[in-house]
Amino acid sequence: MIAIREIIAVIMIVIGLLFLVISAVGMLRLPDFYSRLHASGNSETLGMMLTLLGFVIYEGANLISFKLIFIFMFVFIGNPIGTHILSKAAYKTGEPVWTNKNNEENKEGGSN
Amino acid sequence: MNVKYYFKLVAIMMIFWILLSGRFEVKFLIYGTFTSLIAGYICMPLLMLKSADGKNEYFALGFSIFRLAVYCLWIFWQLITSNFALAKVIVSPELAIDPQVIRFKVNMDNPMALTVLANSITLTPGTVTMNVTDDGVYEIHALTDDAAEGIRAGDMQRHVARLFGQDENFIMIDDEKGAAV
Amino acid sequence: MIKIISLLAVIVLIAIIALMLGRALRGPTVFNRMNALGVINADATLLIVLFGYIDGRIDMYVDIAISYAILGFVGSIAIAKYLGGKKL
Repeated sequence: MIAIREIIAVIMIVIGLLFLVISAVGMLRLPDFYSRLHASGNSETLGMMLTLLGFVIYEGANLISFKLIFIFMFVFIGNPIGTHILSKAAYKTGEPVWTNKNNEENKEGGSN
Repeated sequence: MNVKYYFKLVAIMMIFWILLSGRFEVKFLIYGTFTSLIAGYICMPLLMLKSADGKNEYFALGFSIFRLAVYCLWIFWQLITSNFALAKVIVSPELAIDPQVIRFKVNMDNPMALTVLANSITLTPGTVTMNVTDDGVYEIHALTDDAAEGIRAGDMQRHVARLFGQDENFIMIDDEKGAAV
Repeated sequence: MIKIISLLAVIVLIAIIALMLGRALRGPTVFNRMNALGVINADATLLIVLFGYIDGRIDMYVDIAISYAILGFVGSIAIAKYLGGKKL
């Protein structure tokens, strides 16, 4: 019984880490600031949530797993707020939006 | 001050007290009860939110737990499915993205509903809320065409409006593709 | 088993943090740097939980992780407010 639970926990942690790696790849590959926000804000959230959920499953029902669920809820609520306030600050100060149309004249973001 | 809302707030604070202290002796529970009663009394005016035109007043946590649970499950499922789509876009070699800015206006006047909608849109991969005004105009940065179509279909707006019991209608404004701001 | 997977996760997270530091050093504007720092913040929270499992003292480390998550969130909001100026 414990072994099965541990295997499920490890699978969830590995999937979570996979999403964290994908978010890092997106941060490096995507062309401009707003696109990078998609990678950091969303894949990051899901990766962290799945990893914490894996630890919650590993712990079972005790105080530690409740505290982990508290971090989980905090990430679920706090991460989008942080992403949104950063994009709002960038938008209000006039960060340019990269599109396929103005691709040519807007090279400084670079596709790397 | 509404007594029902006050005790709801006190109950939430009490749960946090127990969670963070981790002690169940009577002495600490009594401390926690008094602390959350006082803290709730101080925080209560901060959580009564006025709508933009100042006519209605809403309590920030004034939604039913059951609807919130349904909404959380739905948004979690949405997060997982669309995250896989975003991951596929990011790791594919040709990087098939088409960033665009879309705008729409909703009819809700509860400030908490506007906040939750902005947060949910940011949480769903492929869309990030860039700007929200007080009268409900949203500017969304969408990474791909599929994500923009999802916003135009309006599932998210309907679910949030149902959660708070608000008007479900919304209109798209100024919907030109790839508008450079 | 959980210790082995924790060690693997620590290595992966440190690699991610190194990449994000590269992005923070290179990133064209201040917002890119802030974004990379936010990712580092979130990863550090996870790293603290993982250290707890490797050390075998998760009951202590999880409290630190909670406070770190809250402080990182408040810090990034404060800096974004500062960057946005009066318009935000």
